[in-house]
Amino acid sequence: MNRPRWLVPALLTVAAALLAPLPFIVNDYYLSLGISLLNYSILATAWALFSGPTRYISLATVAFFGIGAYTVAVLYETLPLALLLVAVILVAALLAAVVGLSTLRLSGVYFVIFTFGLAELIRQLVTWFEVNVSRSLGRYIFVEYGSSVIYWQLLGLALLVFVGGWFLKRSRFGLALRMIGDDEPVARHAGVETTRVKLLTFILAAVVMALCGAVMAPRWVYLDPVIAFNPTLSFEVVIMALLGGANSLFGPLLGAVPLVLLFEAITANFPNTFSILLGVVFIAIVYFLPKGVLGLVAGLRLRRGSVSTSGFDADSAVALSGAVADSGQGAAASAPTAAVSAPSGEPGEPLLEVRGLRRTFGGLVAVRSLDLGLHEGEIVGLIGPNGSGKTTALNVISGALAPSEGTILLRGRSIGGKAPERIADAGVARTFQLVRVFGSLNCRENVEAGLAFRPQPLQGAQAHDESERLLAQVGLAGKGEWPAAQLTYIDQKRLELARSLAQDPSVLLLDEWLAGLNPSELVVGIELLQSLRGQGIAILLVEHVMDAIRALCSRCVVMSAGQVIASGPTDEVLSDEEVVKAYLGAEDA
Amino acid sequence: MYRRASIRAILGLLLAVVLTTGTAFAQDEAPESIKIGYAISKSGPFVGGASVTTLPNYQLWVHDVNERGGILLSEYGVRVPIEVIEYDDRSSSEEAIQAVQRLINQDEVDFILPPWGTGMNLAVAPLLNRAGYPHLAVTSVTDRAPELAQRWNNAFFFLGTSTQGSEALVDMLSAMRERGEVGSKVAMVAASDEFGIELSNAARDSFGAADFELVYDRSYPGGTQDFQSIVGEVARLEPDIFVAFSYPPETLAITDAAMVLDFNPTVYYTAVGTAFPLFVNRFGDAAEGVMGIGGWDANSPLIQEYRDHHIDVIGAAPDRWASPNTYASLQVLEQAIERVGRIDRAAVIEEIATGTFDTVLGEVTLQDGLLTKLWWVGQWQGGEFVALAPIEREGIGEAIVPKPEWPEAE
Amino acid sequence: MIAADIAITGLIVGGVYSLIAIGLTLQYGVARILNLAYGETFVASAFGAYWLYDSLSMSPLVGLVVILPAAFIVNWLIYSFLLTPLVRRAANRDALEVDSILFTFGLLFVVQGVLLVIFGGQYYSYSYLAVPLDFLGSVVPVNRLIAFGVAVALGLVLYLLLVRSRIGTAVRAVAVDPRSASLVAINVRSVSALAFAVGGTLCAAGGALISMFYTFNASMGVAFTMKALIVVIMGGVGNVLGALVAGLLLGVAETSVSRLIDPGLTLAATFLLFILVLLVRPTGLFGRSS
Repeated sequence: MNRPRWLVPALLTVAAALLAPLPFIVNDYYLSLGISLLNYSILATAWALFSGPTRYISLATVAFFGIGAYTVAVLYETLPLALLLVAVILVAALLAAVVGLSTLRLSGVYFVIFTFGLAELIRQLVTWFEVNVSRSLGRYIFVEYGSSVIYWQLLGLALLVFVGGWFLKRSRFGLALRMIGDDEPVARHAGVETTRVKLLTFILAAVVMALCGAVMAPRWVYLDPVIAFNPTLSFEVVIMALLGGANSLFGPLLGAVPLVLLFEAITANFPNTFSILLGVVFIAIVYFLPKGVLGLVAGLRLRRGSVSTSGFDADSAVALSGAVADSGQGAAASAPTAAVSAPSGEPGEPLLEVRGLRRTFGGLVAVRSLDLGLHEGEIVGLIGPNGSGKTTALNVISGALAPSEGTILLRGRSIGGKAPERIADAGVARTFQLVRVFGSLNCRENVEAGLAFRPQPLQGAQAHDESERLLAQVGLAGKGEWPAAQLTYIDQKRLELARSLAQDPSVLLLDEWLAGLNPSELVVGIELLQSLRGQGIAILLVEHVMDAIRALCSRCVVMSAGQVIASGPTDEVLSDEEVVKAYLGAEDA
Repeated sequence: MYRRASIRAILGLLLAVVLTTGTAFAQDEAPESIKIGYAISKSGPFVGGASVTTLPNYQLWVHDVNERGGILLSEYGVRVPIEVIEYDDRSSSEEAIQAVQRLINQDEVDFILPPWGTGMNLAVAPLLNRAGYPHLAVTSVTDRAPELAQRWNNAFFFLGTSTQGSEALVDMLSAMRERGEVGSKVAMVAASDEFGIELSNAARDSFGAADFELVYDRSYPGGTQDFQSIVGEVARLEPDIFVAFSYPPETLAITDAAMVLDFNPTVYYTAVGTAFPLFVNRFGDAAEGVMGIGGWDANSPLIQEYRDHHIDVIGAAPDRWASPNTYASLQVLEQAIERVGRIDRAAVIEEIATGTFDTVLGEVTLQDGLLTKLWWVGQWQGGEFVALAPIEREGIGEAIVPKPEWPEAE
Repeated sequence: MIAADIAITGLIVGGVYSLIAIGLTLQYGVARILNLAYGETFVASAFGAYWLYDSLSMSPLVGLVVILPAAFIVNWLIYSFLLTPLVRRAANRDALEVDSILFTFGLLFVVQGVLLVIFGGQYYSYSYLAVPLDFLGSVVPVNRLIAFGVAVALGLVLYLLLVRSRIGTAVRAVAVDPRSASLVAINVRSVSALAFAVGGTLCAAGGALISMFYTFNASMGVAFTMKALIVVIMGGVGNVLGALVAGLLLGVAETSVSRLIDPGLTLAATFLLFILVLLVRPTGLFGRSS
């Protein structure tokens, strides 16, 4: 992807310039069609801006479109054009903020129907207001200009939306959106303020929709709530965006244009059977284009240049050993169970301190009372049989859950109960029990995700270089462009680690990071973790693999049924009778 | 060589002359058909109204004209049949605009018939104005009609203004009250729609000016089908006059509730839909004495002929409000075209604005672009929706008052 | 007494809403099909009842004998032949939902188009059993009372079936987790088809019954679908009792607002109530928190 950043925006501007003289070339009918195409393209693209990455299907499109139209209908005689636009933007932003704040608690179909209900509520409220306060329901809009001006206004808006969208997608904000779309909780743990990002995107989309409505209103001359808030519009926009592919900037355009033309063709030739034919077309689309048009295109592209997904990569092992040797740790390559020397340095003040941590779920006590201290450069193991509360404890520390009782201090400051993104900012990074990478991003972008939202964020060339360095460190050198979703299991784990490291954490929480690795992969993994110790990061390692525990951890805390049953140097703890009993003889030889 | 060149030149010149005069001659040939286009709501929320009032009358008129052989274009001395191009505007302003644009630019029709409803008509009005087509709006009742007729000199309104409707109703009621036929307590309810609101606003003023007492004055969301609570509330107040500015589903639902609750005010009026055959089909004898918007002179032979003819050709009776006006507007168009003698839209517009025409409503002359020969209140009497108001208008009948009690349910 | 009157009138009005919604909660909750064409089934059934009444003078109540089996068969066929490929293809629930939304959107247009061709666009209406009945001090027409009674009866019977019978348990299992259900030897496809067909039948019952007093035309389907969806979501997806309660609640709320505040705000109140319920209990009144 060596195209200059400015190429596509420049092409878009040229395209707009080429489309501008349309009113002089074609007759009013084609101009009208052009207006319709632009209108739907803008609406579908704006819709996909929010609903694409977040996967929240919003049916509130017409609420914003209508409110834009109504603002113009009410104020066009009293405000000059510039102020009128500002009014539209403000009204839409305000409405979107209210709607957004109230709806983001919902998900799935509840969100869908909620947005539909909200649009209808707005229509009813506008109606009631007009009937009882304005004492007149219909509004007349008489303007001196004609369709050509409306066309140009829409063309300008379209250019703005596409160019703006292009830059947005490439910005940090766009990265955050894609992260949210892939895996919202992980995005939060990487420092993204997801609620704020979602809300801002929703508002942005709403403003665009309102501007569309504002431009179109004079075309209809007469506006009443039924005309302005026609729910069919919301459905049409959703279907166009989904057809074209809501996850790309130009996808909705590929959905809107064919559908508008199709509607036109059917309506012009089969006026009496329009409904039936339209329905049949939709059904056909669903059957033959399940992933939408863009999915079709993407599918073709994938088949041509697919990435190999072979198993354990010998090259990366070599690279890893090299990296390990470079960082001056010395490889303990031969015996997997060779013990490592005790950690260097005095413990001093604990970096991370957990006191009396308790977490219940209704009647279930997952963590009874946990005390834990983690010092700089230490690797401490948090072990215990399944269901002992280890992952819950980790989740509370990282902020995915709030503690029921107890304190968590990071450098003396309390982080218990804070949002994950706040805790991430404070310097805590983590990996997950089932590996979670951002599937739609490539490897480098996954690492950049960690770089972009930390307290001292890195962007641009700096981020590029740093992410390459981190990829090399974990043994993924040269795989920067590979789609994360296509990596092998261990490579994904490496990527997840690289992303966590990118956050420049002082505390790293690893949730069974070595699980599911075969013996040779295990060697590589253990070496990688050992190499981190020298970087001054404190690591809390939740693990089942005893070899790794022995190799890496100087100290261990053992949990069973939510309670700490042993704590101390690794060897002592692992030979403790209670510990052995708790594992019910599942101890690795 | 010179000669050949000059011969060629002369031949070329001759050819050019022949061709031009030939074209001039060709212009004297009658068109094969008169293309009439329209876009009306064949689906969506407005299809109910359009299917009863507009579409049947368009079809009826085209049928009648073509039965006669077409419209007589005196310029060519022949009758030219009508060719119809129709589209579905799907109850959307945007679609209506697109469809009319298509008719103008792609199909290049000679004349365009209007869509159904105020919103649709207003959306297409600027286009028709710019393109110079006569716009004979019928189902577009708005108080701003006079102003719009001035703004667009090609636009004509055939169903009056809401204020006219309300004033005619109140005048009639005042006269009744004068004769001691009805009391002063009025309960009024209106659909939250521009038409409903305009009617109720005007009625409120008129009732106030005529010293009627408004004991209930509310609006409801359009499309409501449950009126137990509203009618129950109204019945409790025991008004003499009940006026509902309603649309077809509500008109039927309100009447249904009134029957169930045995609410029998002296005067019972529901607006749009009362004049539909649907109303009398559903309620049968119970419809006797119910008043509504519209009505016609049941004794007029022209009206009788129109009604029977409509039943013959369409298979169903026309509604008693906008249907005859729709048909009349088409008669006006036809006669205007015939008088002009050729397809000249500007001349046709001029003729419509100034001429006098013979229609099912009788003789019709537009005043400043508006039809003033309107009936505003009708009442079902013996299976016919008799016009009762405006009381100064000719052709009105005598009111049955008080409204007969609703018959016992079966 | 005004409160009692509001309550009774409101419950009767709400009964209609519940009746409209009960079928959809089964289709969506169990078969996982967000059926946007639901309202068209409703309207088609109303047309069916009208036609039987108009041409054969058959009472709509008797007409149910014809309409219900027809609806069951048609819906079962639609699920088994048109929807099953989508179900099989869907990678997860969300994908199926999107697919079913798009598909049923198309189906909506097809059915509406067919109805328009057959019946035209005009309004249809007839009166049947519009006999006033004195019910606990309020006047209630018999036809609406029947609709209310059927709604309540269906709600309770279905609830008991779902909770007490084996097939009911199977249905609930499929609603909660189709994958686990198939692991305990429940034929998920048959159960889903059954749920979809039963849902469609209930819908048709509703349509036939309300045709006795409502006015309808071929384009009204969407309005009914939206009403049903709101009731279903408010009550909790897949919960039959929830749909019943939510519908009744909406009816009472509407009537209260109409009588006590302003009839112009009835729909606004409906949507406001809906939104409030979702804000307080995001998965509906009786919904499962997933």
